[in-house]
Amino acid sequence: MKSEIPSQARVPTKLSLTTRPRRVLRLVLAGLTVVTIYTLVTLNTSGLKVNDAISSLGSNLTLMFLHPSVGQDTWPLLLRALATSVSLGLLTTILGAVFAFFIAMGAARNLAPNWLATGIKAVMAFIRAIPTILWVLIYSVVMGLGASAAVVGLTFHSIAYLVKAYSESIEATPTETIEALKASGVRFLPIVFQAILPSIIPALLSWTFIRFEINFANAVAVGAAAGANDIGYYLFMASGFYFNFHEVGLIVYLLLGVAIILEVISMKLRGHYLKQN
Amino acid sequence: MPNQLTPQHFFRRRRIQLTVILLILIGIYWLSMALVNFQTMTALTQVPAGLIWLFKNFIPTERSLSYLSAISFQLWRTLLIAIASTICAGLFSLFFAILGAKPTAPAPYWHLVIRLGASLVRIIPVVAWSMILLFSFKQSDFTGFLALFFMTLGYLTRAFTETIEDLDPDKLSALRAVGATYTQCVFCGVLPEVATTLTSWLLYMIENNLRDATLVGILTGTGIGFLFNYYFKSFRYDAAGLIVLLIAILVITLELTSTKIRKAIA
Amino acid sequence: MLKVIGLDKSYNRQKQSLKSVSFTAKPGEVTAIIGPSGAGKTTILRSVNQLIRDDAGQILLDDTDIRQAKPAELRQIRHHIGMIFQNYNLIGPLTALENVLHGRLGAKSTLAGILGLYSTAEKNEALELLKAVGLGDFALQRCDQLSGGQQQRVGIARALMQHPKMILCDEPIASLDPKSTKLVMDILRELAQSKQLIILINLHQLEIAQTYADHIVGINQGTIVYEGPQRALTPEKLQAIYRQAPTKEVSAHA
Repeated sequence: MKSEIPSQARVPTKLSLTTRPRRVLRLVLAGLTVVTIYTLVTLNTSGLKVNDAISSLGSNLTLMFLHPSVGQDTWPLLLRALATSVSLGLLTTILGAVFAFFIAMGAARNLAPNWLATGIKAVMAFIRAIPTILWVLIYSVVMGLGASAAVVGLTFHSIAYLVKAYSESIEATPTETIEALKASGVRFLPIVFQAILPSIIPALLSWTFIRFEINFANAVAVGAAAGANDIGYYLFMASGFYFNFHEVGLIVYLLLGVAIILEVISMKLRGHYLKQN
Repeated sequence: MPNQLTPQHFFRRRRIQLTVILLILIGIYWLSMALVNFQTMTALTQVPAGLIWLFKNFIPTERSLSYLSAISFQLWRTLLIAIASTICAGLFSLFFAILGAKPTAPAPYWHLVIRLGASLVRIIPVVAWSMILLFSFKQSDFTGFLALFFMTLGYLTRAFTETIEDLDPDKLSALRAVGATYTQCVFCGVLPEVATTLTSWLLYMIENNLRDATLVGILTGTGIGFLFNYYFKSFRYDAAGLIVLLIAILVITLELTSTKIRKAIA
Repeated sequence: MLKVIGLDKSYNRQKQSLKSVSFTAKPGEVTAIIGPSGAGKTTILRSVNQLIRDDAGQILLDDTDIRQAKPAELRQIRHHIGMIFQNYNLIGPLTALENVLHGRLGAKSTLAGILGLYSTAEKNEALELLKAVGLGDFALQRCDQLSGGQQQRVGIARALMQHPKMILCDEPIASLDPKSTKLVMDILRELAQSKQLIILINLHQLEIAQTYADHIVGINQGTIVYEGPQRALTPEKLQAIYRQAPTKEVSAHA
């Protein structure tokens, strides 16, 4: 009898052009605007000469983009550092993907018991919530400054991110296809590898590739702090130590080159996979 | 459509393909390991020790509660700056996206100019932005705000442009057909259609900026990042741990809130 | 021989969905379960291979009680029960041949199953089965590119690959056009006779049941109201099977 109540829909008292979602949307945007205005008004700008700062920023950007050069470092050094950054991205993505796949099986609600899935998801959310740089710093104390701390710190965050992405992809496979194999007496792991994996490979590939781009950017970002001798370190030294904006410009161009290559590869991979299958 | 391949050939070809892919991946991994000078096994065995160390030293103690007011204040400022930089960048991005998206661009070359500009802004790493801005704007909250602002600007301009380009072109031509002007098209046709998606992006960027604010803070010596770095460098790990814990709680709260908002505005 | 005795099942405390259901299905015969929607047809079928855990009763397949089987034994039993579904439930990106080979996975060790290692004999058998259901030319096509009728025949081949004693069919033709329906039903009836299989089939369409089934189980609101040969199904019995729910219940759902 209770089921009758919702079916008696609320009678609209007046004709309104704004629906509930619209009202919430406006409320959220209005709230954010108020916060923004408050922040801008109370922002500490003491001792700041805006005109000077902007003209100095402009001239620095001009130095960067129009007059790039290797500065006090050399081409081989910078290229080697760039390769190190790319390698850091690759390592942390591959390691992260392997670990994440197995953990994701435990985090997918259609495979694992509810308590396990919820538990893993909560732990991963916690790891994700802590910025990558903090993980790297924490591990650099334990393992000493260097590549290892950077790899472990970046991988930690990678795993947490990919477990979320992978487990959601796994959860998107229809329960019925899993049930069909369960009904013919197939064990758990063969179902995962023979039924679920083939259906979600495109999704896994695209998430992994997205994560690689993030890992590469993160590798550059934490390079200075981790002392992994990668391009991020040279960038930090050039911009924060030698104030050589010519070199900063060159490094940005190098990164741009890598980004373009990655974009092309990702497009090719996707095209290839779609054509193949 | 008959297939000439025999099953035997098919399976053999698939096995060869898989083996090749696996070998390439192992090769990439091995090469990267050599380049980075990273020992997988040694590093992996240190992970548990690291976690134990973390739990021993990073657990906030009673003493660290005395830092609570300083930490909360910086966390609050960082949250405000994350929101403000996102909203300001969002406004500019919206303007650029309307100029740059194919369906709404006033002239075709705008599309190219905006796309290129956004890519350039986006490709400059956090480190570079922070350092360049630190050089010109000195050590202040404003520098952190600007660094986040520029990174968000590059990211959101691209996201907004793509959102507008995903719009159903028929809806726009329908409006044009009724005789709407360009401005009317944009404000009555495009914006209401994309408002939900754009807000979703804004919420995502606020979360993201809160996390990035830590790094920017460490680099520019402002906000919560500065405070963390300060405690961390002076071996006050319990206080640093309290910061990590509070950041995690704040980020998760933010995530849950934006999920709720996304559901409510969908 | 499949004997179901006194099967009870309730999903929640208010409504009992199966009330002491008993029936028999013989090898070499097509046994159809018919009844209005929501009567409990799917619940019965899925209880037989324990995809749904029932509350009480016995399910005897050749005198083994499936309900008492331990997990490992249940896997063994399930391996000899083929199942086909309304939505085919194939793995779309894989080829028809690979989907048929999935019928062997239940007999393999975990490692061989993970790697998908099949013997040449198994591959040839799978191809023969596909030819037998008229899909020899489509063996290496992706399943999501096949039509519904073709996918359902791949589903049948996959069930046969298990070397089953029994095939359970859950609304196998509900999504098919008349031509594919006839094709699929012809194959199922022919299989029952030639391989002496127990074929237990849930059907929505009465005409199909009357054309193809040897044995009919009629169910209404979780209770068996008819069990017997197809010939003996009189209009009065049919009325009992498809009887509307009492008016009291109708008002409760309105």
